[in-house]
Amino acid sequence: MDLDRRNQWLRGVLDLCVLALLARGESYGYELALELERSGLGAIRGGTLYPVLLRLQRTGSVETRWQEGEGGPARKYYRITDAGRAGLARDGTDWLAFGAMVAKLLDEGDRR
Amino acid sequence: MSVESWLWALGGELRRQGLAEEHAAAVIVDVRTHLRDSAEDPYRAFGTPERYAAAVVESLRGPVSQVRPVGPVRLRAEGISKRYGRRQVLRGVGLTVQSGQIAAIVGANGCGKSTLLRICAGLVTPDAGTVCVHGTLSYSPQEDGTVPHLLPDEHFVLVGAGQGLSRDRARAAGRDRAAQLGWRDVGTTTAGRLSGGTRQKLNLVMSTLTEPDVLLLDEPYQGFDRGAYVNLWQELWRLRDAGKAIVVVTHLLNELDQADVVLDLTEANG
Repeated sequence: MDLDRRNQWLRGVLDLCVLALLARGESYGYELALELERSGLGAIRGGTLYPVLLRLQRTGSVETRWQEGEGGPARKYYRITDAGRAGLARDGTDWLAFGAMVAKLLDEGDRR
Repeated sequence: MSVESWLWALGGELRRQGLAEEHAAAVIVDVRTHLRDSAEDPYRAFGTPERYAAAVVESLRGPVSQVRPVGPVRLRAEGISKRYGRRQVLRGVGLTVQSGQIAAIVGANGCGKSTLLRICAGLVTPDAGTVCVHGTLSYSPQEDGTVPHLLPDEHFVLVGAGQGLSRDRARAAGRDRAAQLGWRDVGTTTAGRLSGGTRQKLNLVMSTLTEPDVLLLDEPYQGFDRGAYVNLWQELWRLRDAGKAIVVVTHLLNELDQADVVLDLTEANG
């Protein structure tokens, strides 16, 4: 996949992907990065991921707690809030509808 | 460049962009942990310190270039004077706060910060001057806002009752806000037995539970650890974005860059 294009797409939807992962359970930054990669979205740089997490925190979609690491620095855990779940449900539905429209257009173009 | 020198450069850049020390420290811990876990090169993972600092600051504050919408005036205090015995505490002080703004009242000890806040709250009558409040108002005192023998949940229910909230709704809303401040285990400890910092969180939760238009906070971070302090400011920004008018009495200077209006009483009374 063209990396520039992938990054462009991700910019619009990475927050929803992160919320979707957090909807399954609490997690921390690096684990989220690994899970995003595992889900097939490709490698997500820390420089991209953490600002998204900060933004989600600012808007009240996620909350955080610090946990002292064993022999390492404290780790910040992220957890989705009720507001985050509501946002995910709303914007996730919008994204699915949007994606379906794009798919339909591309599919129609394909057949011509 | 080693990880440490990259982090050092990031710290300098965050400070240069006016981020409070507490936020900068939290951001650096995040990066350090991530780099340790992933064993990546900082440049590959986070880019240059300058660009990452800019991205962080924008994420924390919202787009910098975008002028935040500010609403109607919610609180206007004009020509406020107050004397206690022979001591003139306030002399012709004014403060205007609009919806969507955070105002910080700063100044040396004893310069009348708390007195001004209590006058704005209607708890103290000024000798001269007027206070106009448009909308509902909530005041969080420095201490003594809680009932020692009641549980946190019971505080939420009491405050919620005044808003017509059911017991369950009030409890859920209170716990939700407590969690925003990093206070998760509301539990079975009565207010009198909570630590100072946690009791302060209880105060804060109660003052925001009523969804006031104007929120007055008197040094709302006493006894907070670093994480709680960061959570507090994030909560305040969220409330500001929701259109609240917020007044914070503080003596911590690094909070100033996070406020929209600063009233220095040392100067104002001078």
